[in-house]
Amino acid sequence: MMSPLCLSSSMLRLPVVSRSLFPAAITKGGAATTNNARTATATAAASNLVEVFVDGQPVMVEPGTTVLQACEKVGMQIPRFCYHERLSVAGNCRMCLVEIEKVPKPVAACAMPVMKGWNILTNSDKTRKAREGVMEFLLANHPLDCPICDQGGECDLQDQSMQFGSDRSRFTESKRAVEDKNIGPLIKTIMTRCIQCTRCVRFASEIAGVEDLGTTGRGNDLQIGTYVEKMFMSELSGNVIDICPVGALTSKPYAFTARPWETRKTESIDVLDAVGSNIVVSTRGGEVMRILPRLNEDINEEWISDKTRFAYDGLKRQRLTQPMVKNESGQLVPTTWEDVLTRVAGALQGVKGNDVAAVVGGLVDAEALISLKDLLNCLNSDNLCTEEVFPMAGAGSDLRSNYLLNTGIAGIEEADVLLLVGTNPRYEAPLFNARIRKGWLHNELQVALVGKEVDLSYTYDHLGESAKALQEIASGTHPFSQVLAKAKHPVVVVGSSCLQREDGAAIMAAVSTIAQNARVSSGVEETWKVLNVLHRVASQVAALDLGYKPGVDTIRKNPPKVLFLLGADADCITRQDLPKDSFIIYQGHHGDVGAPMADIILPGAAYTEKCSTYVNTEGRAQQTRVAVSPPGMAREDWKIIRAISELVGVTLPYDTLDEVRDRLAEVSPNLVRYDDVEEANYFKQANELSKAVNQAVLTEPLVPPQLTVKDFYMTDPISRASQTMAKCVKAVTEGAQAVDEPAIC
Amino acid sequence: DVGRRCPVHLLVHRDQTSSPKMFLSAAVRSAVSQTARQVRSLHRSAARAGAGGIFVHRDTPDNNPDTPFEFTEENKKRIEAIISMYPEGHKQAATIPVLDLAQRQHGWLPISAMNKVAEVLDVAPMRVYEVATFYTMFLRQPVGKYFIQICTTTPCMLCNSDSILEAIQNKLGIKVGETTPDKLFTLIEVECLGACVNAPMVQINDNYYEDLTPKDIEDIIDELKAGRVPPPGPRSGRFSCEPAGGLTSLTEPPKGPGFGVRADL
Amino acid sequence: MASTAATRAAAGAAKVVKPILSRDLDEAKRRVRELYRAWYREVPNTVAVFQLDISTRQGRDKVREMFDKNKHITDPRVIDMLVIKGKMELQETIHVWKQKTHIMRYFHESEEPRPTDFLSKFYRGHDP
Repeated sequence: MMSPLCLSSSMLRLPVVSRSLFPAAITKGGAATTNNARTATATAAASNLVEVFVDGQPVMVEPGTTVLQACEKVGMQIPRFCYHERLSVAGNCRMCLVEIEKVPKPVAACAMPVMKGWNILTNSDKTRKAREGVMEFLLANHPLDCPICDQGGECDLQDQSMQFGSDRSRFTESKRAVEDKNIGPLIKTIMTRCIQCTRCVRFASEIAGVEDLGTTGRGNDLQIGTYVEKMFMSELSGNVIDICPVGALTSKPYAFTARPWETRKTESIDVLDAVGSNIVVSTRGGEVMRILPRLNEDINEEWISDKTRFAYDGLKRQRLTQPMVKNESGQLVPTTWEDVLTRVAGALQGVKGNDVAAVVGGLVDAEALISLKDLLNCLNSDNLCTEEVFPMAGAGSDLRSNYLLNTGIAGIEEADVLLLVGTNPRYEAPLFNARIRKGWLHNELQVALVGKEVDLSYTYDHLGESAKALQEIASGTHPFSQVLAKAKHPVVVVGSSCLQREDGAAIMAAVSTIAQNARVSSGVEETWKVLNVLHRVASQVAALDLGYKPGVDTIRKNPPKVLFLLGADADCITRQDLPKDSFIIYQGHHGDVGAPMADIILPGAAYTEKCSTYVNTEGRAQQTRVAVSPPGMAREDWKIIRAISELVGVTLPYDTLDEVRDRLAEVSPNLVRYDDVEEANYFKQANELSKAVNQAVLTEPLVPPQLTVKDFYMTDPISRASQTMAKCVKAVTEGAQAVDEPAIC
Repeated sequence: DVGRRCPVHLLVHRDQTSSPKMFLSAAVRSAVSQTARQVRSLHRSAARAGAGGIFVHRDTPDNNPDTPFEFTEENKKRIEAIISMYPEGHKQAATIPVLDLAQRQHGWLPISAMNKVAEVLDVAPMRVYEVATFYTMFLRQPVGKYFIQICTTTPCMLCNSDSILEAIQNKLGIKVGETTPDKLFTLIEVECLGACVNAPMVQINDNYYEDLTPKDIEDIIDELKAGRVPPPGPRSGRFSCEPAGGLTSLTEPPKGPGFGVRADL
Repeated sequence: MASTAATRAAAGAAKVVKPILSRDLDEAKRRVRELYRAWYREVPNTVAVFQLDISTRQGRDKVREMFDKNKHITDPRVIDMLVIKGKMELQETIHVWKQKTHIMRYFHESEEPRPTDFLSKFYRGHDP
């Protein structure tokens, strides 16, 4: 009865479609004859759409769309286990079986392309029976251990068996058991729970680019694993926990600590690298229980790196919870805020001008940066530096385009030739590297590297180790210049680590010239950016935006009487660099490298404990949110500085966060335009300015500081305090067995 | 009021009477499942032994990544020829033939051989492990020089394959899944090898020995022990898989052209 | 409808309010004096029963202080309401429905005013 109706409706519909299309084509063609061709193709593309029906509801889709995607287009969710939008289609779980009218058997919706006029029945008897049958088979070997399973409450199998499964089982046979694998200190495997959807296998080989996981055996004995005893060694490995639809892969550090329904979720931003991945911080009772990724197509898609995900236990260790003062015997003793602020104010009042200086570290937020700058400016000092160096010769930080990842993280997907200079994006910005890999895999992106040869999880042309190769490319004598000249969408990315060297300005100049030449030869539209700088720390872009001087050279040359370290833990400046009687104030959240040499310690808040602004390497301002309150007597950083200013007698004119942000907007409006990238320009001018600097480069190879995965885990105070990260380093160097813990379950 | 209460009483009574029955049925069911389990594990043992036990690798003294394995010069040339059959960039397609080559060279596939294959074909070792563990003909555990696979599936069993198995076991002094101390023979029990018409049969390396009697298999083993490979095929004297009782049709030579055609054509 | 309109009109016309207890101020004052006397007599008993660390004198001073706090009130209805409340308190005290801490709440204000300036808020805690 139904099908003739549908047929007639589709037949009726056709003339309507054509009528609506043709007048537009005619008028357009009449108005501009030159546009004829384009109009014709547009019409063709529009009529290429295929009409299908989902439960009788018509929808126009492109040819090649799968049944599942067509259903999704009308808002009908098909149950699935193996299908994942970002992975290739496997079609092996069979959960997405749906009936299609006049098709004899149910089809797997995830793998079947639609055909014209199909009526997809997503809730017919046959469909429901197919789902129930598949579910019964899946549960035949799935253990009934939901009460002790960490996935409980957020388990696809649990949810879908409630929704689509039967309420009883007909199986009396015993269940299959699979031995658990030890694939490292991050991922706990309970392989008996595995339903062999192979999402983890596909993630490993497609996204992470590490072909360590696979399926071994066959039939009932099929299992997921590494076959040999081996760690799943990827900087993105934690994501398999999220994509696993059952509890086979769960988080080892999170095991048995909390249930999803008892945690409070706070949407925040990661600051452990300069990418600024979007995260969700799950907390319970003032404690961070775990960190999960949050979807942001422009930055991290739905993945996060292992450091982002697992370094959270560092937030509970080595924390500075009380203000401290160094006593006569050189011991740091806890004291009160009143006492410590009075001492700081006394020290600051005793000096004038450039006798006071400040160094800021990599985890400092924009609010703290602006308050510290305002405070020191009020004291007539302009000695504000970041730990990271950026060459100031040439355009320096005057032109914003000179220090941003202008192309954008998502922009890499459109590029066709990419030149990496002195960087290892795989460990400096794992999600940026995942984007490069995506482009390499799906968009024929050609990658070349100047610098130390490293494993980037994709193939690339190694053009040389030293900056000499750069200058050859810039001058056009290198064979790669031809490749670059032919590129349609060229991109050049220079790592911030190689700009730390003495010849940083010359490297920057060469890179700038290469980028400028490539842009001219490609003839790409004006909006396409070629030159990029990949930063490694979260605070750097905001600091440069606010006018901090990159590098601590000025402080070394003119040692100040009072030095204010704001989260400066990179060991750039030590006691030896300063006169004996100098007074060091350290403000930060971890007792790491900077704190022990200080005379006074002011405990600050970590990124999960404050609402603050961070600007990622693209120049995108984002804000973290308060997930838990700072431990002990620790306070938000900008408030500490604001309190000091009042005691010093130069009260800063802001009392609330909104007022600080108004001040930020005054200095640099992009800092409060959240989630927006403020585009930077003037590449040509920057290039011209760079020609004036000393072009001599050193012959030493460009070696990024993070060469292998073991350098990746501990790079900042939080991850250095994390036991999980320490275990990772140990497991990478000594093997996964070295950190094996007795299984509880 | 009484009438209403009655069914309740009845229900209670029935419930009491039915509960022992329920226990009984549960017991029966568990017994059934017990037997089912045993049957299933019996089915498994052969396949598992053939494929080399479990589907994970554990380093042993004779099977570890350092086990020496290198393709011979001859085989390297063969590999080149195999790879050249596939289009550019599709070396992975040669995984099965190259693995087979490695197995023929080494007798079985140590982990080092699989790694070597991965290296030769420029793929991740895991992709090779996946293939090697999928196919039961890839032997991931050491086997003797002569790998005896005896079929004990229904048709062979009905033709008394049990006696053949017993004869082999007595002759070699090993049980199913074991290797003789001199590393000459390995015996395993397999499912149907597709030669039912010539049952009972065994496969020794690449050769099928069919229509066996216990004496036949003893002779074969003696020959092998002496270093000779007896000719494969049926031992009953029939040719290939012709009917056991002689031909029943097509017994005469085929007629020539023009047979049965009208004379005037 | 008509009746409500009538009452509204009547209320608007004559400002006669319905008394709670007392018809005029004098009667209300009498009730206050009676309550005060009752409290005055009860104080020594309270000090003994609750084992308060204060003298009878201090207790009576506190009673007087509490009464004096409202001495500016002239509306008999308000006075009546306060008297009712005072009687309730007295009853709770006599029957020892209160505990020691409830009595002592009359004596010291433990609540500090919330800080308003930045620095005091900063010293106080995370997000006052």
